[in-house]
Amino acid sequence: MLELENVWKVFETRQGRKEVLRGAYARIRKGEHVGILGRNGAGKSTLMRVLAGVERPTRGRVRCSMSMSWPIGKSFGIQSSLTGEANARFIARVYGTPVQETVDFVEDFAELGPYFREPVRTYSSGMTSRLLMALSFSVDFECYLVDEALSTGDARFADKCRAALDLRRADAGILLVSHNAQHVKKYCDTAAILRNGMLEFYEDVDEAIAAYQGL
Amino acid sequence: MIGEVPRRTPSGPLATQLRVIGALIMRELLTRFGRSRTGYFWLLAEPMMLAISISSLHVLSGHDLPNGLPTFWFYAMGYTPFVMFRSIVNRGANVIDANMSLLYHRNITLLDLSIARNMMEAVVCSTIILLFMTVAALFFDEWPHRPALFFLGLIESALLAHGFAMLLASLEVFYEPVERFVHPITYMLMPISATFYMLSSLPYEAREAMLWNPIVHVHEMNRWAMFGDRIVPYYDISYVWLWIIGLNLLGMAGLRAARPRLTMME
Repeated sequence: MLELENVWKVFETRQGRKEVLRGAYARIRKGEHVGILGRNGAGKSTLMRVLAGVERPTRGRVRCSMSMSWPIGKSFGIQSSLTGEANARFIARVYGTPVQETVDFVEDFAELGPYFREPVRTYSSGMTSRLLMALSFSVDFECYLVDEALSTGDARFADKCRAALDLRRADAGILLVSHNAQHVKKYCDTAAILRNGMLEFYEDVDEAIAAYQGL
Repeated sequence: MIGEVPRRTPSGPLATQLRVIGALIMRELLTRFGRSRTGYFWLLAEPMMLAISISSLHVLSGHDLPNGLPTFWFYAMGYTPFVMFRSIVNRGANVIDANMSLLYHRNITLLDLSIARNMMEAVVCSTIILLFMTVAALFFDEWPHRPALFFLGLIESALLAHGFAMLLASLEVFYEPVERFVHPITYMLMPISATFYMLSSLPYEAREAMLWNPIVHVHEMNRWAMFGDRIVPYYDISYVWLWIIGLNLLGMAGLRAARPRLTMME
């Protein structure tokens, strides 16, 4: 279970206080596939970091009783000066999975070929996101927190990620934060819209998408 | 197609922390030396050149030391431990900026990052010092008087630096300009740390004033551990440990207080 209770996040900027989250509530159960839709600048990245527990809200509470992945998106959690392989070893050591098994899994899943043994900074953005998905799937999290990373891979790889999630649907949930309604429709059972720093939950994905597109 | 996913083996908090620190040290090794062997060479060669040239300058300037102390080794063994202290503080104070992206992994703490970074630096610098010591013993017949005590001195110096670095790193979060003072501070510490001279050659008042500085104690002890009774040392080990405990507690509390204030910029 992941619960947000009246979560505020306020940044001090040169233009004064900027309220990015303004009293967000959420309750996400183990194994749920939830999409969070938000326009550019709605505060998706900030929400991600708060959900992941790597940044503390200015006010309010985040309670989390399941193991959450780190925010999977851009190149978070990857070290670009290291090779794909060294990154896999690092993740294995940090999260306590068996090292060799993890490296094999990541190599197989990411399909980087010889690039697996080259520094990540030489990768294309598609390759980086394939590595990122492979790294995160190599750890048995109870909830994967995904930030558009799925959208950079090609259609076939996206299907593979979906299959990986489906395989463990029983115990693995996903929290997909995106501006793209199609992705949310593809991966999620329920959805919420992030607007004005607050979350509005919808029972039905189509309903959420309709409301989102009407914005 | 996807098969089994690697499973985590459950572990206690201490085991987890040790594993994380291990991972960070491996990473530090890889990123600092690259993957070539010359990386390891330069890592040692760089501070070594500094130590050799500084010590040689003192030899050339013709300072004669009492009791037939070997000029080159006197300065080399005084300077290299200070280099360790200084580089731990300089690098360690920068730990948050340099590792921000790693904080996306929730089980990596600022303390883990500090320990890994500072331990790396301490090991690298100690290797150089041991190398110097070996050369002095084998080729110049300067055997260390109390090697174990010298080693303890290095540990004390590293722990002082570790605590100080953590304190500076956390102060930077609360007040950014602190960063600008780190290098000047470590630079100014050199002349008041009994690096290049002995307390026994100072007048009483100056000596008493110098003894407020814990690094002075470490350097005096190291010198005696190296050169034995050719030296009259002034040090108090318990005073040094008081500073170590104080600085480390303050440093750890500082990092803990600093963590919630961090925002991860992209």
